[in-house]
Amino acid sequence: MPSSRTEDFEQLALPLFPSLYNHAFWLTRNQAEAEDLAQETFTKSLRAFDSFQPGTNFKAWMFRILRNSFLTTRTGIAASRTVFLEDHPETLDTADRGPTPEDNLIRLDNQAALHAALEQLPPPLREALLLCDVEEIKYKDIANILDVPIGTVMSRISRARRTLRQLLQPQLGESL
Amino acid sequence: MSQTPQTNPAIEHLSPGTLNAFIDGELSPAERQAVEQHLATCHACTLRVLSATQLKTATAGAGRRFVPPPEALSRLTAQLRSQPQIEPLPQKRKSTPIHLVRTAIWATLAAAILLTVSLLGWRELHPPSTLAAELLDQHLATLSSGATPQVISTDRHTVKPWFQGRLPFSFNLPDNTALPPDTVLKGADLTYLNNQPAALLLFTIHKHEVSVFLTQRATSPTLGDLPGTRRGFTIHSATTPDLHMIAVSDVNPADLDLLLAALVQAQNPG
Repeated sequence: MPSSRTEDFEQLALPLFPSLYNHAFWLTRNQAEAEDLAQETFTKSLRAFDSFQPGTNFKAWMFRILRNSFLTTRTGIAASRTVFLEDHPETLDTADRGPTPEDNLIRLDNQAALHAALEQLPPPLREALLLCDVEEIKYKDIANILDVPIGTVMSRISRARRTLRQLLQPQLGESL
Repeated sequence: MSQTPQTNPAIEHLSPGTLNAFIDGELSPAERQAVEQHLATCHACTLRVLSATQLKTATAGAGRRFVPPPEALSRLTAQLRSQPQIEPLPQKRKSTPIHLVRTAIWATLAAAILLTVSLLGWRELHPPSTLAAELLDQHLATLSSGATPQVISTDRHTVKPWFQGRLPFSFNLPDNTALPPDTVLKGADLTYLNNQPAALLLFTIHKHEVSVFLTQRATSPTLGDLPGTRRGFTIHSATTPDLHMIAVSDVNPADLDLLLAALVQAQNPG
């Protein structure tokens, strides 16, 4: 029978399983790997549960363990070897003025186009954007999960949205 | 903030960063109010905010795309319940004090073991090591801003007794004067490593954070194949007749070895 401590953990953690699995799938792009990664995250989190500080963001804590676990997988190691040049300050925000009036015309009701655009985002941009928009995690917690400065989180989110808008614009001519 | 944005739009329009922070709920109440005041009079920015909000909503829907297989949750709960159960922290376990061997031979032996293991520890990571991943995860967790150890003390006379009754083994801590230069004990935590209860000692060496994990050798005779480095962090270990000690840090490896040596020496005060 589970001890009360394990029950506490399950009560907090199990509702996060769909979110963690979804994020794991985006990271690994493979159903079996995603499930393995989510399971590994839960096992590690349970073992480390005593080190979790009550009052801090449990969801962010779980996502951080998920990401650290991902980085030790073959896919994660390969991904971490890819240098993400877009974080380089000189390439950032040189032309980003946010959405222009023309961007209001992008077709957001086309789910297939949205999925395709998300697939095309560079993984570091997509990861930050998903943590913000899908998981609704705060910038400072995303910075903690990704182990990057908060300014980098803001840059990645800004760049991800700009890239999405650019990717979605060609749909305009095709769909109208 | 000026209330006449349309007279000087180049200055007054929302920057992309402010716009993102606004739709992500990251602005302070005062900043938010200023943005709302601007939006009340600026049609262009209102359209931009509308567009950005629609994109955010659409992203949230499209990003929530992969659903676990129906049986995955039951597999997960079965796996969790097969793990060694975590029990509430204040355990009234009868610790069996392990008396340290106090012979001159031991000092020589410990030094030899430390040297051997440290040399092994220099090897670079090739095969992923589960234990190394766990060590690094826990070390990184201690670095996070919200993490505070359960015992915050630079005094070994506070830290050591705190573990009594919480761990099924005991250990000695060196006096501050016996620690290497610029090495400070910051606190301690109780944790689990390799499914074993472990003492986590937190030090700083020249401002670098160091985690030292102590586990009982009787319950896990070998540590397995530990990489010397992982993702830029040094992982060095040492053993005594009773204990495994594993240190994780981004400090100079030689400084980490000095700390391990001091900890080994402390187990043999006589």
